[in-house]
Amino acid sequence: METFLQVLVSGLMLGALFAIVSVGLTLIFGIVKVVNFAHGEFLMLGMYLVYLFTTKLGIHPLLTSVIVAPLLFVAGVVTQRFIIQPLMSARDDHIQIFATVGLSTALINLALLLFGADIANTPSSGLRTPITFGPVRVLLGQLVILAVSIMLVIGLQAFLKRTQTGRAIRAVAQNRAAAQLMGINVNRIYMLTFGIGAACVGLAASMVAPLYPTSPNIGTYFVLTAFVVVVLGGLGSLTGAFAGAMIIGLIDSFAGFYIGSDVREVVVFGVFLLILILKPSGLFSNRLSLSHVSP
Amino acid sequence: MKLPNLLKMTAAAIVLSASAAHAEVKFGALYPFSGQLALLGEESARGLEIAVDEINAAGGIQGEKVVLVKGDAVDNNQAIGEARRLISLEKVSAIFGTYSSARSIAASQVAELSGIPYFELGAVADEVTSRGLKYMFRTNPYAKDMGEMVVDMVVEKVAPGLGKQPGDLKIGIIYEDSSYGTSVSKHQADFAKEKGLNIVLSSGYPAATVDMSSLVLQLKQAGADVVLQTSYQNDSVLFLQQANEAGYKPAAVIGGGGGYSMQPTADAVGHDVIENVLDVDFTQFLVNTKATPGLEAFVEAYKEKYGIAPRSGHSLNNYVGAKALMESIGKAEGFEPDTIVEAVKAIDIADGQTAAGYGIKFGENGQNERAAMMGMQWQGGKLVAVYPDAAAVSKLNIAN
Repeated sequence: METFLQVLVSGLMLGALFAIVSVGLTLIFGIVKVVNFAHGEFLMLGMYLVYLFTTKLGIHPLLTSVIVAPLLFVAGVVTQRFIIQPLMSARDDHIQIFATVGLSTALINLALLLFGADIANTPSSGLRTPITFGPVRVLLGQLVILAVSIMLVIGLQAFLKRTQTGRAIRAVAQNRAAAQLMGINVNRIYMLTFGIGAACVGLAASMVAPLYPTSPNIGTYFVLTAFVVVVLGGLGSLTGAFAGAMIIGLIDSFAGFYIGSDVREVVVFGVFLLILILKPSGLFSNRLSLSHVSP
Repeated sequence: MKLPNLLKMTAAAIVLSASAAHAEVKFGALYPFSGQLALLGEESARGLEIAVDEINAAGGIQGEKVVLVKGDAVDNNQAIGEARRLISLEKVSAIFGTYSSARSIAASQVAELSGIPYFELGAVADEVTSRGLKYMFRTNPYAKDMGEMVVDMVVEKVAPGLGKQPGDLKIGIIYEDSSYGTSVSKHQADFAKEKGLNIVLSSGYPAATVDMSSLVLQLKQAGADVVLQTSYQNDSVLFLQQANEAGYKPAAVIGGGGGYSMQPTADAVGHDVIENVLDVDFTQFLVNTKATPGLEAFVEAYKEKYGIAPRSGHSLNNYVGAKALMESIGKAEGFEPDTIVEAVKAIDIADGQTAAGYGIKFGENGQNERAAMMGMQWQGGKLVAVYPDAAAVSKLNIAN
């Protein structure tokens, strides 16, 4: 029973980690409708920024989010404006995918050039402290990730539903042409959304960097799972992505313990395929989903 | 009077430079110089460069100056392409390399077809020398040597240190599930069974993992006293941290190479957490130099040439292999492939005579049968040699 609880809690913590990394991707995927393969590299970039700010300036890793998130916002806007937007009118959408793959490879090699292949250690500043609840142990930093990911989903949900800009973003997601006819500057909305998506990853980087050593290819560890989470959540639903992340985290944890670490990816992706076959639109595509009408 | 002298001198200079131009032998240096593996690829190549410097300073090979031609094996396809270029365009007499097993396996096939000797100085996969190639030789210890050394250390040091019979220990084997971890762990399991050890858990995991807590729980539940991990860097850090945070403290953790030998790993995990963790890998630098003659001179030469201390033992092992091979070729006449093969087959260097400690003598398959790894331990934030005794600079600590 004690072990079961520990496996359960480890799974939830892993789910929170996947959730905080996937929220930004959900926005970009659900609204701009770009399959952004450079998402993991944005995370990597953010983690290196956190590493630099903590080690060079002595800032607490969590506090770096107030600098790193805006910087990533700018990176996202620039990516959308100068890489994705020129390709939006291309005859084939796949060209954007290749562009993001190219961006991903370029960023990995840029990091190799700047930082080398070795790992960079962000000081954990107390976030690795284990906290015990009866028989169950978690790290303080993991609880922070869980809390921040919940707040992030609630906050973004409110922003999309309550504010004028949020409504405009949803309008663009539902029907790009109609939104444009209503006087919405679609290109501006895309830049804004890509920026917010990237800023979410910047926020995630501040939470993740103190717990995981940073290396140029750290993004590739997360990006595949992030896509699974987003698809499972119904492409563009924030709460769906959060629930999807939790499901993946739990399956990963239970399969890892009760079946074996060597087959846990088989189980995770097997369940993922099964869900897609049974419910092709993802588990949580509902009226709040941003992409149930294609552009 | 002056003019003829000048003419004579010019003529002499032309003759000299012409003969100098002829008197050089080209070898290929095929390593990943860019991309993911660049760090240790370059570190490996530096060992070869220092060996060439020393050979040239001592008059070259058969009186000819050695010239290295670099090839960048950034991935398997490029390794093949660069091997072709080195052989047909640059006309190298042999290729030295490669650090990465996959690239060595790919490129050596090209060399074999062209009948050019291929000298592997650093890749560890079994398949490098198990394919029956005629022109392939490997000087460094490989996966099997690593598995054997790990198990020897458990039987001869860890078990007595704990006051237990080796058979009473519970062994957990975990490994990243690519060909590297899989082959080393298989050798570990084979040797462990041979020595009557009790393996309670054996599990692979993907190296690109972000969570090992379920594996830690499995080991804890199985009651493993000794954990053998074969891993890269991220997963080494992750395992040591998550085991520590889960309150799991096995009596001994023995890492196999990769991440376990690198200083940033210790810095990431924390020096207190990695204290007393054991590691089996290529010979590093904090070792009894009586067992590794020439090691200090190598470190000096390295510092002078590159301005920093060696970053890992890869350079040392490449240096040792390259130097022995080139010296043997120096005793032959000519650079025909079969002459070179015959020369290196005659190498017979006893253990304790090289800067890496191990001797060199090639077996039928081209593997150096005397190659051996070394047992090390993290003590006070430094990786020091502890096994075998002849090479040890510190006592092997067993907690508990």
